[in-house]
Amino acid sequence: MNKTLKFILLAPVIIYALILILFPILYILVLSFQTSDNYGGIIYAFTIYNYIRIFDPIYLKVFLVSGIFGFFVTLACLIIAYPFSIFVSEKKPHIQKLLITLVLIPFLTNSLIRTYGWIVLLRKEGIINTLLSNLSIIDNPLSFMYNNLGIFIGLTYTLLPFMILPIYNSVSKIDKKVIEAAQDLGAKPLSIFFKIIVPSTYSGIFNGCIMTFIPAIGMFFIVDLLGGGKIMLIGNLIKNQFLVSRNWPFGSALAIFLIVVTLVLVKVYKKLGGKMDDLGGF
Amino acid sequence: MKRILILIIFMFFLSGCGKEREEVNILNWSSYIPDAVIRDFEREYGIKVNYNTYSSNEECLAKLQAAKSGTYDLVFPSDYLVELLIEKEMIQPLVKSKLQNIGNLNTNYLNLEFDPGNIYTLPFLAASVVIIYDKEFVKEPITSYNDLLNTDYVNNIVLLDDQRIIIGMALLALGYDMNDTSEEHLEEATAWLHELKPNIKAFDSDAPKTFMITKETKIGVIWNAEAALAMNEVPALEVVYPEEGFNISVDNFAIPVNAKNLDNAYKFIDYILRPDIMQKIIEEYPYKNLNIKTQELLSPTYLNNIASNIPDSYFNRGIFVKNIGAGILAYDKAWVSIK
Repeated sequence: MNKTLKFILLAPVIIYALILILFPILYILVLSFQTSDNYGGIIYAFTIYNYIRIFDPIYLKVFLVSGIFGFFVTLACLIIAYPFSIFVSEKKPHIQKLLITLVLIPFLTNSLIRTYGWIVLLRKEGIINTLLSNLSIIDNPLSFMYNNLGIFIGLTYTLLPFMILPIYNSVSKIDKKVIEAAQDLGAKPLSIFFKIIVPSTYSGIFNGCIMTFIPAIGMFFIVDLLGGGKIMLIGNLIKNQFLVSRNWPFGSALAIFLIVVTLVLVKVYKKLGGKMDDLGGF
Repeated sequence: MKRILILIIFMFFLSGCGKEREEVNILNWSSYIPDAVIRDFEREYGIKVNYNTYSSNEECLAKLQAAKSGTYDLVFPSDYLVELLIEKEMIQPLVKSKLQNIGNLNTNYLNLEFDPGNIYTLPFLAASVVIIYDKEFVKEPITSYNDLLNTDYVNNIVLLDDQRIIIGMALLALGYDMNDTSEEHLEEATAWLHELKPNIKAFDSDAPKTFMITKETKIGVIWNAEAALAMNEVPALEVVYPEEGFNISVDNFAIPVNAKNLDNAYKFIDYILRPDIMQKIIEEYPYKNLNIKTQELLSPTYLNNIASNIPDSYFNRGIFVKNIGAGILAYDKAWVSIK
């Protein structure tokens, strides 16, 4: 294919990426160095104050709490997704397709609506509590939501597919012959798992972890709805700067900081010997 | 390919048709005007209503600033936002002669501090923040914000998710002004809220009444209309206007500068000021009615409940949120620390 034709065919994607991804990020980057007029307006005067402000202990606490939530949600997703992916990859191809489609089906409904679904299930007079008390298993309703548990349930549920897809992708690529060879050479199931299966799915695990961790600290509506608005994660903090505190520059600085954290994580992955191509997708 | 091309051209024609139709672009609070009222306006006047919503004054301001000037023909800012919009020259003076029903407005709610002489705005509805509690659960009547600190109420309070109102509440509880920006006082208010925190089950501004109706919480600091709706469902609920004072707000009609459909905006305001239309709105969202002719049409349930029909003497004790400039930074920090 000649170069001009190649360029013409690629042009829509390039324009799309420029207009909808690169330019907004550049705009946010520029904003993050400006000053707020405290009424939602922006005074165009260069400052790095917004970045210094991030390191105020009060805001650092938000990062710490976010990190803890992100870690446990990612861990829970990994623990659920890994065995599931192996289970799926051992099925016949058409069953695999069916099961993966089932994983994708929740995406057909807006995640906000699904979160409201969880409220109906989890609240004090909700379906789960009513069921348990009717079966005389509990006397007083259990508190599943308006606390950390609610946030944890909501985030883990919503982000699970983002962990399953990359892990399934790398698990299904493992050459079965290698496993057979290991079995022939007398390897026990556990050492097959830890010495062959896990190492060959590192990229999937890492990809899944990033795809779970970053949204986990950004999904403000789940945190607000299931946590009762009592906890603030980075996503809530950024949203508040734009919609409540009328401080777009500080909100932008927080957003850029989050992007930098993501890039650092990817860099770490590369340092550990991961290939960028494996992060590409599925 | 040809077919797609024809389709696209056809779509352009269609969008062209839309432009010629009369329309009005409204930016309003969510859950404030029933859908049926808007559909009736469209039918009666043949004007298409493009309706957009927001859930805080800050969001309203953000949307006005983000959109091209002239995008909206009518907005419903609250008191302190009105002040700001006037200062930033974002809304235009109203031509009162275009409003036949203007005489229906309760004069007690005209000429308020944020727009003296009502040059830019006219009041639509008034609201206040009240305490509501379940008499069966709360043994001693609550009269003050400090009563909420009682350790018997662990995990039983819902508060509005609004930093100015809730930090303002703490300032009032401590005997300070609701709009205080002194760092010392804000620190005390933060400490007060930390003391209250074990009792807080949730912060919610969208539908705090649900917490009271489902008995998820037994006490709430919420909007008066939300309290009134909850009281209709749960008879054991009691409403209190705290002795230290409480937040009030007035939402207003305002027309942004460069509005493209001026006449239609006036028609819509005049339509809302009609007694029967205001009645429909108040019946669905029982905020404080400011239309004297509507008052005669309202049900006893509305009129006899001080949560919905706020007595004027109570309203006069209320306090407006005020613009505090850079003071907002300290509020923001306090809010993050509480959460």
